[in-house]
Amino acid sequence: MSEIISRESLRTMAQDWLQQGGRVFGPVRMESDLVLYSPVSDPQQLLLDGWIRPANSIKLAVLPRHEKLYEYRLKGREVELTPVDLPTAPQLVLGARPCDAGALPILDHVFNWDYRDEPYNARRQATTVVTIACQGHDNHCFCTSLGLGPDASTGSDAMLVDLGDGTYEVRLFSEKGQRLFAGKTQTSQATGQVPSGPENILDLDAIHRFLSGGFESSRWTSIALRCLGCASCAYHCPTCHCFDMVDTGGLYGGAKVRNWDACQFGIFTMHASGHNPRSTQAQRQRQRIYHKFHIYKEKFNHWLCTGCGNCTRNCPVSLGIRPVLESIQKDFQ
Amino acid sequence: MLEALRQRCRKLLEDKTVQLIIGYGQTAAHDPAFPLFITQPDEVAQLVWNEQCFCNLTKYLLKPEIRALGKPAIILKGCDERALQVLQQESQINRAEIYVLGMVCQGVGRPRAPKCESCDVPVPRWADEVIGTPHAPREDQVERGPQSDLSRSERSTLAPRYAALETFLKKSPEERLAYWKHELSRCIKCYACRAVCPMCYCNRCIVDKNRPIAIDTSPTLKGNFAWHISRAFHLAGRCVGCDECTRACPAGINLRLLNLALAQVGEEEFQFRPGMEPSAQAIIGAYSLTDKEDFIR
Amino acid sequence: MSEATNHGAAAAGDGAAPFEPKIIAYVCNWCTYLGADLAGTNRLEYPANVRIVRLPCTGRIDFNLIVKAFEVGADAVLVSGCHPGDCHYTAGNFHARRRWVLFRRLLEAVGIETQRIHFSWISAAEGRKFQQVVTEITETTRQMGPYRAYRQICEAT
Repeated sequence: MSEIISRESLRTMAQDWLQQGGRVFGPVRMESDLVLYSPVSDPQQLLLDGWIRPANSIKLAVLPRHEKLYEYRLKGREVELTPVDLPTAPQLVLGARPCDAGALPILDHVFNWDYRDEPYNARRQATTVVTIACQGHDNHCFCTSLGLGPDASTGSDAMLVDLGDGTYEVRLFSEKGQRLFAGKTQTSQATGQVPSGPENILDLDAIHRFLSGGFESSRWTSIALRCLGCASCAYHCPTCHCFDMVDTGGLYGGAKVRNWDACQFGIFTMHASGHNPRSTQAQRQRQRIYHKFHIYKEKFNHWLCTGCGNCTRNCPVSLGIRPVLESIQKDFQ
Repeated sequence: MLEALRQRCRKLLEDKTVQLIIGYGQTAAHDPAFPLFITQPDEVAQLVWNEQCFCNLTKYLLKPEIRALGKPAIILKGCDERALQVLQQESQINRAEIYVLGMVCQGVGRPRAPKCESCDVPVPRWADEVIGTPHAPREDQVERGPQSDLSRSERSTLAPRYAALETFLKKSPEERLAYWKHELSRCIKCYACRAVCPMCYCNRCIVDKNRPIAIDTSPTLKGNFAWHISRAFHLAGRCVGCDECTRACPAGINLRLLNLALAQVGEEEFQFRPGMEPSAQAIIGAYSLTDKEDFIR
Repeated sequence: MSEATNHGAAAAGDGAAPFEPKIIAYVCNWCTYLGADLAGTNRLEYPANVRIVRLPCTGRIDFNLIVKAFEVGADAVLVSGCHPGDCHYTAGNFHARRRWVLFRRLLEAVGIETQRIHFSWISAAEGRKFQQVVTEITETTRQMGPYRAYRQICEAT
């Protein structure tokens, strides 16, 4: 016995959400093959199947690529600060993958560690996440190596399993999910099948052990040779969260804004003195791996990765996390 | 052709003619090939050569970590070789210290990349050796016959390489602006376009300047317009049209259209195409006493 | 109706003050700036709509400055310097002229209204020409109306 819902009812649900003043995010086809999570104003734009996973991640719902933190005006010798209202509009993410949803509880740690990040928390609390179980995967997916899978429930409020006939089985994982789907589903005998995901190919504990002693290893230089230092991997990663706070404006006032930033940029660690502790791409690549598979693990007992494969798919030179970890594992096991 | 390439690379390493091969590797046949760096003769088995060999490898000739590996042999398509010419003209590389393995190319991508439809450099011209023999067009090559839906005057002036631009310029200025607002709204300032471009080699990019800030770094429409206009203009007379920026863009922005605009005016006004003629004078950095000024009061 | 033909008075709205275009003029120190000064000393009146930004030479004018002028709300931009052959730094204006040929085309492709960007050679002796050029540009821009399109881009979040 299960609860099911039709695709059209899902779109109606999104329409109601919008009409009540909420925001809806979901997969949208952009140009040619590109599918991106995007805010939608019309639920017909939502593309609920026909892709392995969108090229970006749902973190844009809780950590936008650009947001204003406060405004300031200079009046003589005084500075007038105007805080920006915390975002409170309810947000519905409809059509995420488990590897996207699984990132949110991971991000909660760092945004509530020594300082509670109010804009992040406000958005997080206002967001309901509905995932769609994976019916397939490609050669870049490795979620199972990170303890997730095609029907993982981590971070998800409800999951849809495609029944193949325009309807989905609905699995509810939280109160938010229950509230969302209350009264919208029908009971049915049909249950969804979810194929097994990618093979578990990584021994993360072994990799962690290597990292504990491998800081000075020469392999970091060879690994990073083809990396060109853009932010494609970090910006499309569900768990990467670094940001830059910048003043924008003119002589008399402006705003402090927060933009995404990435550790692969050459000037990411540039000091005001001009010294740059991570001046080579090898050091920057090394740092990325350490952050995700050593530092975050030690600090929050969680890998900073969900195995979605976005990094490699988006990388202009097909680098990303998995090739690096596989190369470490090959030599080190 | 691949076997010939591998054998040559093996020989070049064994004879110590070069210490490093910069070529293409690949894990899955349907995925893009990636830059591969090999220093041992046995590693040549990892080299591939196929329609997925998109990357413009000349970018790596400027990386200090690559230079440190010794004299390189580099595998180049005709379009990539143009970038090599420009780098040489701009004194960024010493051609004598590079061994160029030119590859005869029938086009990359399936379907073929737009740049390949109007390619006039299928065989690299200044390579130390060329691998492959010029052969029949690929089976999916677009016939470059007379474009019958154009008027006679359009046909005579239209270079196929600017076809996409010419079509675009038929839009009104408002439509063009709306188009770029739509495209650039997706830009997230990842700078992949800058990262893959061999011509973007400034130690400190203008967008990284912060005392004072020259270009708004926020991924807003304002910041995105400012960046893309700057980048396109910094490539005026330098962009060779390898279209790697367009391929690398994870947001699918039609960057090649901006580059085409400057390439066209460079060819029309200055009869110059970067990387095509070693002795031709670059556009920016030079001037002529007879440059046009019909737009100046 | 396109922005370019939107008449200034109507665009300002009823009851509001008539539209006064804001024009930023990037001028070279040795010719046009002195030309503007000469206009002043000769008491040649020119519209106060122009805001003059002095640079050593047109060759120093980064094309970005033109975009920035629109970012901060200019309705038109004038770029002016020494006549070719008279550049105080010998060739600065030759480099600038070539850059402008390329940059105009880029902006056309982007859809920015290049009819709001004006170039001129005005020497230190041409106070009257400065008056004429600035007056013409002010009037033309008043007819065109405010440059809303680029400001909308800058205000979008």
